[in-house]
Amino acid sequence: MKKALIIQEDIIILRIMERLMLLNSYNCKAIRTISDLNIEDQAEDFDIIISEILFDGIAPLDFVFQIQEIIAHKSLIIVTNMGQDRIKNEILNTNKVEGFFAVPFDLDRIQKLIA
Amino acid sequence: MEVGWDRIFFWIVNFFFFIYGVTLMAIYFSGIILSDRAVKRNKRRAQFLQVKDIVSATDIPSVTLIAPAYNEGLTIVENVRSLLAIQYPFYELIIVNDGSKDNSMELLIDKFDLEPQDATFILQPIPTKSVNKIYRSRKPQYRQLTVIDKNNGGKADALNAGINFAHTELVLCTDADCIIEQDALIKMVRPYLEEGREEIVACGAAIGIANDSVISNGVLKELRLPNKLIPTIQVVEYIRNFLIGRMGWGEVNGLMLVSGAFGMYPRTRMIEVGGFNHTTVGEDLELCFRLRMHMENLKKPYKIVYIPETLCWTEAPTDVNILVKQRERWARGLWETLMLHRNLFFNPKYRNMGIFFFPYWCIFEFGAPIVEFLGIIFFLFFWYWGLIGINTAILLFLAIYLIGCIFSTISIFMYIKNFRHYTTPSQIIELLLAAYLEPFLYHPVLLFGQMKGYYKKLFNLNTGWGAMTRKGFNTSS
Amino acid sequence: MFVEILIFIIKLLFLTLFGTWFTIGVSLLYRSRRKHHLNKIETAFAEITSRYLYPLPGEPFDLVRANRSFRKLGIIPGKPGNVQYLIDLMIRTQRSLLGKNYDKLELLYGQIPPYRASQKKLRSKKWHVKARGLREIYEMDQNQYLKEVMREINHENIYVRREAQIAMVVFLGWESFRFIPYLKREMSLWQQIKVVEKLHDLYPIANIKYLKKAYNSEKPYATEFIMRIIRKFELHEEIDFIIKHLDSPNFDTREAAIYCISSFKLSQKQLVKLKSKFMNVGNVEQQVQLLKYINHISGQVDIAFFKLLLYTGNDILKLCAAEILWSHECLEEVEEFYYQQYAVKPQPA
Repeated sequence: MKKALIIQEDIIILRIMERLMLLNSYNCKAIRTISDLNIEDQAEDFDIIISEILFDGIAPLDFVFQIQEIIAHKSLIIVTNMGQDRIKNEILNTNKVEGFFAVPFDLDRIQKLIA
Repeated sequence: MEVGWDRIFFWIVNFFFFIYGVTLMAIYFSGIILSDRAVKRNKRRAQFLQVKDIVSATDIPSVTLIAPAYNEGLTIVENVRSLLAIQYPFYELIIVNDGSKDNSMELLIDKFDLEPQDATFILQPIPTKSVNKIYRSRKPQYRQLTVIDKNNGGKADALNAGINFAHTELVLCTDADCIIEQDALIKMVRPYLEEGREEIVACGAAIGIANDSVISNGVLKELRLPNKLIPTIQVVEYIRNFLIGRMGWGEVNGLMLVSGAFGMYPRTRMIEVGGFNHTTVGEDLELCFRLRMHMENLKKPYKIVYIPETLCWTEAPTDVNILVKQRERWARGLWETLMLHRNLFFNPKYRNMGIFFFPYWCIFEFGAPIVEFLGIIFFLFFWYWGLIGINTAILLFLAIYLIGCIFSTISIFMYIKNFRHYTTPSQIIELLLAAYLEPFLYHPVLLFGQMKGYYKKLFNLNTGWGAMTRKGFNTSS
Repeated sequence: MFVEILIFIIKLLFLTLFGTWFTIGVSLLYRSRRKHHLNKIETAFAEITSRYLYPLPGEPFDLVRANRSFRKLGIIPGKPGNVQYLIDLMIRTQRSLLGKNYDKLELLYGQIPPYRASQKKLRSKKWHVKARGLREIYEMDQNQYLKEVMREINHENIYVRREAQIAMVVFLGWESFRFIPYLKREMSLWQQIKVVEKLHDLYPIANIKYLKKAYNSEKPYATEFIMRIIRKFELHEEIDFIIKHLDSPNFDTREAAIYCISSFKLSQKQLVKLKSKFMNVGNVEQQVQLLKYINHISGQVDIAFFKLLLYTGNDILKLCAAEILWSHECLEEVEEFYYQQYAVKPQPA
C-alpha cells in the first residue's frame, strides 16, 4: 500500500482529504501541524505529501526547500490558503512540488494527481 | 470659631488631591467601559474579516517589517528566521544593522547568503546617518529580505533608514529582539482594510511579556508567567495599559502613543512627517503627536487605532536597576515630547487633540508621578503637624488600595475572558497576587524611576538611551 | 461620620472584589467546557462531511444517523450558539471546496439543521446579527432572499451594507454594477476587495457593458472600485480609465490608480499620456512610485523625459531620475548634471 502524509490545519479539510486518500488505496497519516510529526514519521519515505505552507517558525518557501530534508517523499502537493499568483509562481519555480492548489480548490483535480 | 491658615492650607491641599484622584479614577473606570465596548466590537468585526480571508486575498496592502539591530549577534540569525516566517502574502523584511560592533553583519551575510546591491544612488527622503551597503539574498527563499548596513545613529535613525528603503504601502516598525506572532501582519492590516472616511495613520497592538516562556525557532511555543515577581507585575501592568488604557483611548480616537516596539504606519505619511525624531528618547510618542498634528493641519479625518490582541512579545526587565533606567528613559521621552509640542496645550486649532488629549497627557500622564511624590511629602508634613488622624488615613488608604485592586482584577478578567494566553487557575491566581502586591513592591520603584527622569531633564543631565541589558529568552530548537 | 462612610465604602469594595473573583472562576470553567464542546462539534462535523463526500465501500452515508449525532451534540433550536457554530463550520467548508463537492455539500446542508436560521437574522436590529444573516444567505446560495438583501445595500452600518453588496454581486454578477451610482455610503478597501474577488470567483468573464454604467459615479470609492476590477480582470481596453485618475486631487484615488496601473504594460500612446500627467501628481512619494513604474515598463529609457526631471524636479525626483539613468548606463547625462553644479569641473581620479 502506498503511503501518504497530509498536513492541514483545518480539521474538516484534513478529514476529507484523509478519506480521499483512503479511497485511493493510500495508507494515510493525517496531522494538523508539522510539530505533530514524530520520529517514526521522519524515518518514513512517503509516496506523497499534501501539505499547507503556513507554519509557525518557517517561511512558506523555506518550508518547500526544507521539507525534503525533514521527511523523505516522492512528490509534494501544496494546498494552501495563501494562494496568490506570486506565491504560486515562486513555489512552482522551485520545481519541488507536483501541484499547487489555493483554497477554494477542486478535490477532483487532486484526485487526478494522486491516482 | 477661628480657622487657622494651616487648616485652610490643609483643606486646599486635600481638595486638590481629592479632585485629582477622583478625576483620574473616573478616567480609569470610563476606560474599562470604553475598552469593553471596543474589545466586543473588535471581536464582532473579526467575524467578518477572518485571518483566512485576508491571507488568501489578492489586493491587500503590501507591508514591510523594519527591525533595527544593534549588537545582536547572539540572536540575530534566529530572530531574522522567525521574522521571515511571518505569514503575509505581500511581505518584505528590512533588517537595519545600526553600526553594530559585533559580528551581526558577518553572520547575516553568511547564513542568508547576502550579496551587496548597487547603491550608487540612494533615495533617502528622510535624512539618516550614512548607509554603507544594502544587501539582498541570493537564495530565492529569502528574496523578501533586505539588510541595510549603516553607521550608528540610534533606533529612530535606523527605522528611518528602513522607511526610506521600503517600497510598500505600509511599514511595521519593531525591534529585532521582539517575538512577533506569526499572523500579526494579517491582524494589523485589518484596520487599514476597513478604514472608511477616516484614514488610519497608525496602528498598534498589545505587547506581552514572555520572560521564562518557551521559545522555539523564534516562535513563542508556550507562554508562561515569569519566575520573578518584577516581570510578573509588569505582565499585569501591560495588560492594564494595553487592554484598558489604549483600547479605551482608541474608542474616543484619543490615542497619542503607539509603542515603538510594534507599530504600523502608512509609509507615505511617515515620509511626509519626516519619520521618527532621533533627537528624543521618546520617539514613538513624538511620532504619534506629529502624525496627528500633520493630519489636523491637512484637515483630513484620521484615526489612530489599537488592536487588543497581543501580537508582539518582549522581555521585561527583571532587575530593579534596569527597570528604573527604563522608566527614567520613558519619563525623559515624555518630558521632551510634551515640551516639543507645548503649543498644543489647550490649542483649539488642533480640536480634541489640543483641548482634551494633550492636556490629559500633561496633567495626568506627566503630572501623576509629581502629584504622587508631592502627596507623600504633604502626607508626612501634615502627619508631623498632627493634622491627619491615623485611623482615617489607614481607612482611606485601604479604600484607595481596594479600588486599585478592583481595577487590576477587572483588567485581568477582561484579558482572560477575551484571550487564551493565561488559562490555568494557578496562572490567574499568580497574576492577581502580583497585582495586589504591585502598590507596595513595584509602584514605588516606578515612581523613583520617573522622578529620576524628570530630575535629569530639569537639571539637563542627559544620559541618552542608557543600557538596557536583556537576559535573553529561553530557547529550544 | 466620615469614618463610618469610609467603612461602608470599604465593605462595598470588598464585595465588588469578591464578586469579580467569582466571575473569573465561573468564566474560566465555562470557557474550558465550551471550548471542549465546540471541538466535539467540529470533530463530528468533519467526520460526517468526509463520510458524506467520500463514503468507503460498504459504509454508505446515513443521514438519519448524522442528524441524530448533531442533536446529541446540542444542535437544537433552543441552543442558538451551537446552531451558529455549525453554520460557521458549514460556510467554512463550502468556501474551501469547488466542483462537484461544492454542489454535494449544498445538498447535504439542505437536509441537516439549521433550517431558515439566516432569514430570521435579517430582521434583527443588531448589526452583527443582520450582517451574519446576509453572509449566510449568499454563502449558502439562498437567492430567494434577493429582495431583502437589496434593501440593505445602503445600510448605515458598514458591515451590513458590505455583506449586502457582496450578496448582490453573488446573485446578480456583473449586472449588480447598475447599482453603483446609487450607493450612498463609502466602500472600505476590504469591501472592494471582497466584491472583486467574489465576482472573479463566480463570474470570471467580464461584462464591460455593466461596468461602464458605473463609470458615471463621481464618488472616489466607486472610481477606486472600478479600477480594482479593471486590474483584477486585466481589462486592457479600460486602462485609460486608470490613467485618467492618476492625477486625481484625491490622495487615495491616486494611490489606487498607481497600484492598479502597476500590473499593466502600457502602449506607447498610453505611456505618453501617463508622462504628461506625471507632473500633476500631487505627492512626491507617489511620483517616485510612478517613475519606477515608467522605468519598469519602458523597453528603452526615455532619456529626454528623465533628463528633464534631472533639471526641473525636486531633490527626490532628481535623485530618482539619476538612479534610473545610471542604471541604464546613461552615465554621461548624470555626470553632466552633477558637474554643472560645480564651478570647476572635477577631474577624474
